[in-house]
Amino acid sequence: MKIKYFSLLIGLLFIQISYAEISKTVLPESGLIEWKLVDNNFELKLVQRLPDQTRSFFEGRGFSKTITRNIANSCVFQTIGRNNSKDKNQTIQVSLKTWFIKINQQRQPIKLKETWDKQWSDEQVKPASRIAFRWATFPTEQSFEPRGDYNWGMISFGPRPGSVFDLYVEWKNNEQKKSAWIKNITCPVNRYQ
Amino acid sequence: MRSFTSAIIFITGLFLTAHAVYADPLMTPLADKKPAVNFKLQDMDGKIHQLSDYKGQPVIINFWATWCPPCREELPSMNRGWAKIKSDGIAMIAINVGEDEDTVFTFTGDYPIDFTVLLDKSGDVINQWPIKGLPTTFVLDPQGRIVYRAIGGRQWDADELLNRVRALK
Repeated sequence: MKIKYFSLLIGLLFIQISYAEISKTVLPESGLIEWKLVDNNFELKLVQRLPDQTRSFFEGRGFSKTITRNIANSCVFQTIGRNNSKDKNQTIQVSLKTWFIKINQQRQPIKLKETWDKQWSDEQVKPASRIAFRWATFPTEQSFEPRGDYNWGMISFGPRPGSVFDLYVEWKNNEQKKSAWIKNITCPVNRYQ
Repeated sequence: MRSFTSAIIFITGLFLTAHAVYADPLMTPLADKKPAVNFKLQDMDGKIHQLSDYKGQPVIINFWATWCPPCREELPSMNRGWAKIKSDGIAMIAINVGEDEDTVFTFTGDYPIDFTVLLDKSGDVINQWPIKGLPTTFVLDPQGRIVYRAIGGRQWDADELLNRVRALK
């Protein structure tokens, strides 16, 4: 009997309960919507960026009007990933290559920064603009170490402004694969159109 | 029964200890301590700085850009941190990525930076360092090895954090 309880206790200590809490908030200062996923130590925030916001950011960094319009109309979100753990073993790994969206029953990959970068010639985009784009966008692959690592950057999910989609998010916590769906995400629309 | 209770207390203790040992939310210590890649960059006045110039003292190196919100958030704390450590034989360097003197000069009007600011206009230096996003900060020991890394902003005027850098001397 004692051995049974003892084994049960040992088992309970090693169970990783996976439950992602997902919330949606309208940010009072901007009126933009934030989706937040929390699963143990991992925290992910997706905040809408108005197409005009994104357009002016990239125009300010030397991109042409055509390219900035393309980026701005690709459902861009400010994304913040964070590892809140203090345990040295709890590294969080994120690869956007494993994420995808579902829109109109169709599954679509996310448009990664490398894909954007490849489609521009050197004549179209100057090196300084490329540097700004690279560092202003969310890393395709990233490890978040414990003790407060976080990172931020823009992700373009692809659909046109006003579209609604579901996002499949995958990450690893201490090599253990985890996933969640964030449902009904709305691509931001300019306020004065 | 007593041995069973003792076993429960022992295992629970082990479990709690494992989660309490790493209670420092400040920087990631790097076990491999790889030598930092040397660089040669200009400061705001056109003076050339090499990383090797700083050998023999701990160095805090921060990669940043003016348009990066968490960089703007942490830079004032770096400036306060610099005021605390500048007489301790520790160097602090902010490497701006991809911007020119005018942009950085205008920025420092709103966000004063009293320590060394270097310009990596071409992004060649950041590409040689193990960086995925901005801001990222490294702490080098006097031998020029990377001993700590912090991805994302920190409060650089926190004594708990600065004491770890002082301890490298």
